[in-house]
Amino acid sequence: MISFILIVLVSFFFTGIVIRTKSIASGRKGPGIFQPMKDIFRLFKKGAVYSQTTSFIFQIAPSIYFASVIMAILVIPFGQYKGIISFEGDFVFFAYVLAIGKFFSIISALDTGSSFEGMGASREALYSMLAEPAFFLLMGSLALLTGYTSFHEIFMTFHFGSYISYALGVMATFVLVMIAMIENSRMPIDDPKTHLELTMIHEVMILDNSGFDLGLILHATNLKFAMYGALIANLYFGSLPLYYSIPIFLVIQSLFAVSVGLLESFTARYRMSHNAQFIFTLSSVSLLIFFGVLMILGKLI
Amino acid sequence: MVDSQLLFISILATVIGWLAIYFSPSRFKGKITSGFVFINAILTSIPAIHVLTSDNIEILLSGVLLIGEIPIRIDSLSAWFILIINLTSITGVVYGLGYMKSYSDQKSNLTLHWIQYLLFHSSMLWVCMVQNSIVFLIVWELMSLSSLMLVIFDHQNNKTLKAGLNYLVQMHIGVAVLTVAFIWVYFSTGSLDFSAIAQFFSTYSNIWLFLLFFIGFGIKAGFVPFHSWLPHAHPAAPSHISGVMSGVIVKVGIYGIFRMITFLNSDYLIIGESILALSVLTGLYGIINSAVHRDFKRMLAYCTIENVGIVGIGIGLGLIGLGKGNTIMILLGFGGALLHTLNHSLFKSLLFFSAGSIYQQTHTRDMEKLGGLIHKMPQTAFFFLIGALAIGGLPPFNGFISEFIIYKGMLEGINSSNIYHVILIIISFSGLSIIGGLSILVFTKSFGTIFLGSQRTELHAEPNEVSFSMRLPQYIIIAIMLGIGIFPAFFFSYTSQIIIASFPKFAINNIDTLNPFIHSLSTVGIYAAVFLILIVLVYFIRSLFMNKNLTQKSPTWGCGYVAPRASMQYTGKSYSKTLGKLLGFIVTEKKKYTELESNEVFPEKRTHSAYYTDFFESRIIEKITNQIQYFMNLFQFVQNGSTQMYIIYGLFFIVLIFLGTLFNII
Repeated sequence: MISFILIVLVSFFFTGIVIRTKSIASGRKGPGIFQPMKDIFRLFKKGAVYSQTTSFIFQIAPSIYFASVIMAILVIPFGQYKGIISFEGDFVFFAYVLAIGKFFSIISALDTGSSFEGMGASREALYSMLAEPAFFLLMGSLALLTGYTSFHEIFMTFHFGSYISYALGVMATFVLVMIAMIENSRMPIDDPKTHLELTMIHEVMILDNSGFDLGLILHATNLKFAMYGALIANLYFGSLPLYYSIPIFLVIQSLFAVSVGLLESFTARYRMSHNAQFIFTLSSVSLLIFFGVLMILGKLI
Repeated sequence: MVDSQLLFISILATVIGWLAIYFSPSRFKGKITSGFVFINAILTSIPAIHVLTSDNIEILLSGVLLIGEIPIRIDSLSAWFILIINLTSITGVVYGLGYMKSYSDQKSNLTLHWIQYLLFHSSMLWVCMVQNSIVFLIVWELMSLSSLMLVIFDHQNNKTLKAGLNYLVQMHIGVAVLTVAFIWVYFSTGSLDFSAIAQFFSTYSNIWLFLLFFIGFGIKAGFVPFHSWLPHAHPAAPSHISGVMSGVIVKVGIYGIFRMITFLNSDYLIIGESILALSVLTGLYGIINSAVHRDFKRMLAYCTIENVGIVGIGIGLGLIGLGKGNTIMILLGFGGALLHTLNHSLFKSLLFFSAGSIYQQTHTRDMEKLGGLIHKMPQTAFFFLIGALAIGGLPPFNGFISEFIIYKGMLEGINSSNIYHVILIIISFSGLSIIGGLSILVFTKSFGTIFLGSQRTELHAEPNEVSFSMRLPQYIIIAIMLGIGIFPAFFFSYTSQIIIASFPKFAINNIDTLNPFIHSLSTVGIYAAVFLILIVLVYFIRSLFMNKNLTQKSPTWGCGYVAPRASMQYTGKSYSKTLGKLLGFIVTEKKKYTELESNEVFPEKRTHSAYYTDFFESRIIEKITNQIQYFMNLFQFVQNGSTQMYIIYGLFFIVLIFLGTLFNII
């Protein structure tokens, strides 16, 4: 319960921090950190324009996308406190629930019959497919290390002790940050601020969404960011009491947001044709984690 | 004893059914067939359900000419497959009723088709029951031949015949391998009874005989590299047949492999590891190929190969579990495999049926020619969407349940002391996740291209929603699928029971260790339902807040371009092009076009076509068959068509045999 409330809370200002960081990095003052949320509330009140080509898929897809993100957040634990949903193997459920949201966002893009939106849809499907093994390898390795298969128990028993475990923590953080960037279509993979449809991924998929639906999709992105931030934060909690873990959580989320902002200010987007290779290398980082786990367990020698 | 009578009545019913189909007018033939399929299904399901709830059935037919004793055994494994076969055959025949309406003028062809359907259904059932090698092979052959006749219904079409021939040849390679295996058992033990196989395994090496059985049954099941009949036969067959073939005939192959595994006695680990590795490759290969094809029935056929791979992953895990004596791995691996067999038969028949509806209305299997069908056939679109979600393993449907069980079995297997197993299983683990991700790509592509957007080409006739008898079975399948998705623990308890009964010598009795898993499985079901409710809730809130007065319709945003055309839509081909390029070493693209000459000032109209080839078929199988064909062509002069020469051949052989006997050579 506590993780759900905190993630929703953080989601209100996460993108705000990202935008603020980018503004400061480029020498501007920038909007307040709640500005993206205010935009979303304004969208909720607006009317909508629907394409004549679309069907009921286009109407239900944003709701399903949003619901899938909420459902995935329910699985995330908070230190020693379980998520609302917690069972053995819940991380598989987590990944597949997110996939159902992705499925619908992809087909809703195809529903418009546009010549651009399919392009984004195709890329989204391909890149998230390529990111999948990295996540599964990471979680499988952690499950092997701790002997448990649910998020809560894995994070509870994951301790930093040896040098290797610190390395694992760093690499796991890197993988999770990168997966978050891919899933949210952010900088090294996709530039949300680009103005050419041919080079967009997520933005081009939602070209035809407006009003309440667009608000839902935008907020789902905020929630997703906060969700991955919470996963990263969970790596470092162990079983700390709440009065330590909540500040740590907020600090990690803000650090995550600031680093996203910095990353977007100082790097250029990769060439579209090289994205696939880049994402697949993520799996090799996960493989390194796997071998690290084998070394800790003394199976590899 | 009552159960055995039911079984014999079902044989009688089949024969009566043939006569009834033969003598009835063509508009009743389909109805009569579905009636008899229904009767047969009930007659065989009752004993099967008895077996699942209480004891096995064993009947010995003794003193049969030439063969001797024929044991008919139904244990819970057979019962599980009998129920799957019955379910899919019933939905198939009801769907077929509507589908075959447009062929009602081909009277004799229809008669043959429906008679074969009845034979096909009961031969599949008897494959799961008889346990005498010779009778098994006969029934197996009946099944293959009757399915061949069903595939080549449209026999005027050359392509269909070619696909049929391909199927015939491949099935017989399988039968040949199986025959060799059975003969080997017979010469080693002197018995035709299946229990002799167990005897063989307990005295001799297990690997080689099992390999023969695996090849023989694997051709039916479609494991790579024995898969190449599937992408030809499935598109050629009428859709209700493709649904039943992909739904159950492939599963009969799985049954065979399962049956042989229950007889195994040693070498579990090496067999398990090989099956696991082969299955991951099968899964990846199937789904990668299905991503690039534009013929949607061929796409579904490749997707069947992928799902056989997933079933195989479960089987491999279970075998490794047997080797290590890990009860949880046995129950989760085999249990996931059995449940995925049921699940796949449900959603694959659903997908083939809805694909058939599309074909019936549009007369094309090329998805690039379609588009926007959701407006004309909303219910078919809904069926296909549900099938696509389920086959992608997405909750709240049944596909997720079996994949979840297999994932859980892998996580169990990771905690192994053997480093090779750890590495093998973690690779399969990520392999299964890639398969899941790819199947989302495949089905967003096909659903999007066929049903969404606007119509790409002009069709011969306006497509309409299909008839009720074609829609009804699809609703039933969806209901069962949701049932499995929301109450998985109920079905899982049956699969555990089957596995415990199938491996008596392992004496699996510490099921209590599985209780936490069963608990989490039932919570998965609950959360699947919660997810559905959450979706409805979000949608409800949306409709409360939506400002209806300000909602308006307008054309799709064309980024400033004001004259968009349907042909400007993103195509399915371009959707999967990046993937095809990325994996070009597996799915090779071939192009056919004529280059523009430099002196061609006014170029003529020309065509450009691109297609993908099957790696194993074009690089390995075709190479071998071409070599064989080259060698055989050397003897072409023998077949010169003149009668005189043939008489000389005859004389020559008579002399040869005469000389042979004279000198005691023969």
